[in-house]
Amino acid sequence: MISILKNWVRGSNKLERFWLLSKIEYKLRYYENKLGLVWALIKPLSEIFIYYIAFEVIMKAGIPHFVSYLFIALVLWNFFVESSLGTIQILATKKYLYEYTNMNKIEIYLSVIGSNLIGLFFNILMFFVYYIFIEKGMYVSWHIIFLIPIVLNLVILSLGFSLILSNLYIIAKDIQQIWLIIIGLGFWISPILYKLDTFRAALPGLEYINPISNIIINARNVVLYNHVPEWGLLFWGLIYSVFFLLIGLYLLNRLGSKAAEKL
Amino acid sequence: MELNKEKVAVIARNISKTFYISEDSYNTVKKRLFNLFNTPKPKEVAALKMMNFQIDRGECFGLIGRNGSGKSTLARVLAGVYPTDTGYVKINGSTMLMNLGVGMSHELTARENIYVSGSVLGLKIKEIDKVFDKIVDFAELREFIDTKIKFFSSGMIARLGFSIAVNAGAEIMFLDEILTVGDIKFQEKAIKVFEKSWIDGKTVILVSHSMDVIKKYCQRVAYLKNGVLEYLGDAETAVNMYIAENK
Repeated sequence: MISILKNWVRGSNKLERFWLLSKIEYKLRYYENKLGLVWALIKPLSEIFIYYIAFEVIMKAGIPHFVSYLFIALVLWNFFVESSLGTIQILATKKYLYEYTNMNKIEIYLSVIGSNLIGLFFNILMFFVYYIFIEKGMYVSWHIIFLIPIVLNLVILSLGFSLILSNLYIIAKDIQQIWLIIIGLGFWISPILYKLDTFRAALPGLEYINPISNIIINARNVVLYNHVPEWGLLFWGLIYSVFFLLIGLYLLNRLGSKAAEKL
Repeated sequence: MELNKEKVAVIARNISKTFYISEDSYNTVKKRLFNLFNTPKPKEVAALKMMNFQIDRGECFGLIGRNGSGKSTLARVLAGVYPTDTGYVKINGSTMLMNLGVGMSHELTARENIYVSGSVLGLKIKEIDKVFDKIVDFAELREFIDTKIKFFSSGMIARLGFSIAVNAGAEIMFLDEILTVGDIKFQEKAIKVFEKSWIDGKTVILVSHSMDVIKKYCQRVAYLKNGVLEYLGDAETAVNMYIAENK
């Protein structure tokens, strides 16, 4: 079974194509302007600065190691936003790839996720540089290997929403505005800025309804608190994400196949 | 009937296609909500009506018919770009549709476009490296290779597209009036490679209004009239039917 898969990958150029399209996508996003990659790093830093002033300096929320606490959550949150909001028009902007050939559209989605993963990799790297060298009294333990299933969960979730939204875009052009509102609301009802206890007490059960919550909560468990993930949340999150991915794939088959003639 | 994968390039069974064209742009959530009870009736355009046929590997297959007869729609359906409403299309191999341009991003440079297109057409990076110089020289674009193609003239883009198609083309090529790219000198060159590298060796579906071209290259020709496959067979008969319609 595995050898068949291996031969299939080696025999075709699918992996190479995935990497080529991801690199080009990444380049288009970050190397086109003069400051280049710097922008990718400035964005989370500026956000941390703003929330630090608001929550620690003015409101005195009193969360220990607040910068690290925020940093890891924002990096994951931004990946989700970029992969969902940023890809709504993907079938329109990447039309040149499928309009003249019988290329499978799912490859376009995977390459964009791939390019975002390159960005996520640099952001996580930057987080660990801060965490290990600047943050005082914190250390990294073996528990960070659990970051792998957590990021996998994030990727499945993002791909799912990317598919759902971009295919709905074919029949509803204002989905972008609607999603912008949902994302805006989502940011404030996710456990990004608050103490987890406060969040759970105020909105019980929400960490199960909001699909990004389990990812953020567990990422903090394994990175900041040197703890194993909350297993219930982790498995629930994976099932939840796969559910969205299946809806997305269904929509790609139903609506996406008509993208060439409708867009 | 069992179908031989080695021999057949495209199979079309009971395919048909209807376009639904709505009067105003009825594709936002807002409009849908406000018109919940009075949905506008879209106009139906039957572009292709029930047809059955297959295209053999290595064959040059012609598609003729007047404007609006469904030629281009049929080409897109056979290439797997448009889905059919009924029946199915089975494609054995990668396809490429060419009319004036091929799929290229205007945000990318000529070099990047060559690699992306080549890869989409099924080549490996090493294989693209090998034909890269050939593509650039054939398109006569050596000094603009790292320029974004949005700064190219339409002729330059067409030449690049043609050159990629010639040197990296897919197994099944759909050519929609392509022998009119570029100046006379480029056209001569284009026809030469067209005869050399496509007619022998690749499966070609040729859409054209030029009956001379059709008669010269195609073994079998499909003649379409108002979305109906009126005739499929030898070129001579199909061309005569088409000429009779135009009288």
